[in-house]
Amino acid sequence: MGKLLKRWGLLTWTLPALAFLLAFALYPLGYALVISLFRYRLTDPTGSRAFVGLQNYLQALQDPQVLGSLGNTLLFVGVASGLELILGLGIAVLLDQRLPGMAWVRALLLTPMALAPVVAALVWRALYNPDFGLVSQLLRGLGIPLGRGLVGEAHTALWALIWVDIWQWTPLLAITLFAGLQSQPPELLQAAQLDGANGWQGFRYISLPLLRPVLTVALLLRAMELFKIFDSVFVITGGGPGRATEVLNYHIFKVGLTFFDVGYGAALSVLLMGIVSVFLALYGWVVGWGDRAP
Amino acid sequence: MKLLEKPEQVPTTASEVGSRFVWDPRHAVKRPLRWLYPLLLYGLVALVLLVFLLPLGWMLLISLKTGQGSQTINLFQSFRPSWENYRALWQEVPVARYLLNTLIVSVGSTLLALLLGIPAGYGLARQPGSWANGLALALLGIRLFPPIALLLPFYLMMRDLRLLDSYTGLILLQSVFKITFVAWFMRGFFVGMPQVLEEAALVDGCSRWGAFWRVALPLSLPGVITVSLLGLIFSWNDFFSPLVLSGVRTRLLTLGILEAFSTYEVAWGRMSALGVIAVLPVLLLALGLQRYYVRGLTAGAVRE
Repeated sequence: MGKLLKRWGLLTWTLPALAFLLAFALYPLGYALVISLFRYRLTDPTGSRAFVGLQNYLQALQDPQVLGSLGNTLLFVGVASGLELILGLGIAVLLDQRLPGMAWVRALLLTPMALAPVVAALVWRALYNPDFGLVSQLLRGLGIPLGRGLVGEAHTALWALIWVDIWQWTPLLAITLFAGLQSQPPELLQAAQLDGANGWQGFRYISLPLLRPVLTVALLLRAMELFKIFDSVFVITGGGPGRATEVLNYHIFKVGLTFFDVGYGAALSVLLMGIVSVFLALYGWVVGWGDRAP
Repeated sequence: MKLLEKPEQVPTTASEVGSRFVWDPRHAVKRPLRWLYPLLLYGLVALVLLVFLLPLGWMLLISLKTGQGSQTINLFQSFRPSWENYRALWQEVPVARYLLNTLIVSVGSTLLALLLGIPAGYGLARQPGSWANGLALALLGIRLFPPIALLLPFYLMMRDLRLLDSYTGLILLQSVFKITFVAWFMRGFFVGMPQVLEEAALVDGCSRWGAFWRVALPLSLPGVITVSLLGLIFSWNDFFSPLVLSGVRTRLLTLGILEAFSTYEVAWGRMSALGVIAVLPVLLLALGLQRYYVRGLTAGAVRE
């Protein structure tokens, strides 16, 4: 123990936390890895587990429900993160203007992201309600045919959910990118202005390139958060109509914790972790694993 | 790696910003139309605020309407605000019970996360070398993983330990999500704090623990308070862990709201009141803490 203390120095201070994470994060994750190799259903009264090797994984890769939910997830992540980034950038530039009252605007923009995602989802479920909802009334006023409402129709439901996410999280991107703009050294832009660059050129050739690292990291973080999307799907559509809004997360929840086919559910969650790990590695590559000492 | 230190460096008020050069589209315009630009910009600001705040304003207004009026489309027609919905709701739904449950679990898990996370953050901040950096990023990695991957095995584990529908199970699960965050956040805080005073304490014969306990920890109190409040907000907003682990006895607020909402779907006023009750405390907290709140959410995105 004394030797360990010396060799690891202050890192021994992390041991309690690491022990906790080992017991309640890594052990469960390892357990998931193990049961993903079994045919294991809690609904089976005999409680039998049969080792099936990679069969759960092979089944997953051929399962149209899994592939459909994966498609929905990727569409959701791609469209939402992209639009949030573009809108966020626009709003960030707007916030960066030297106008009185902007500090208030920034504070007010915080409102949506402070809401519990469940509550945000409930608000939008009400807004989308085909009878009374404000959105439905607006669309009706504009003469747009509603059918069973935006979330009631298979071809619009996923987009309606994407909008909820855009509504809740664009402000975060806006404020992040605004902070990025504010931390840029002003000299380069001033020099460009002296050389006769107009505002657009200054933004396009000076600010935007300087902002690129922040843009990349914010996009990756947002994409990883979007892979967790669950609350709004659960609350607003329950994956429906049909399977139009079933994302991978929700599908895993259904398989593992509603149908209690835990072996198969674990295999699916391992696959999801694999996908997110790619983004995580990308993120690590961008911020540089371990090479920036304090 | 200086990701989380010194929020003061970002100018946030107009006067602070005024001291430096900011890109300004007015430069792009011919002089005679200059006066239009602030107008245009304020128009855009108004549009943005409308889009992001209208849904909540709508909910607030409806929650203050009563009786027949709560179903009508024209909001301002004979609008007389009343607390009727809130009063009735308090009697019909065990809101107090949900609040108490949420309070127990959030305080418990936050305390546990602080207890384990602060020393971890301190160790990571004060130990030079790539091991510490790698470990810190691994912690961040755990935070970014999808919770569903953890929830399924965690559910089985808690079932075997007979901890379903218990405060303990919920506290343990929420602590997992919080510890990595606390360690990561506090590490940034300690990194940004000058070491001189701690070194002086060490020279004066303090142990490392003494220097931490008597010098570093008191100085980091603002960070500790921030991270605690963020931890409480996380519990308040969390939906996944109660959905999977809680039962009749330990129902937390978010799940309670969802169930009550389904009951009140037609009773617009009640439902909106419930929404407002759920939103207000955390909204006020987040507004008060806005810089730190954003910082907690974007940990890793912006460096200075």
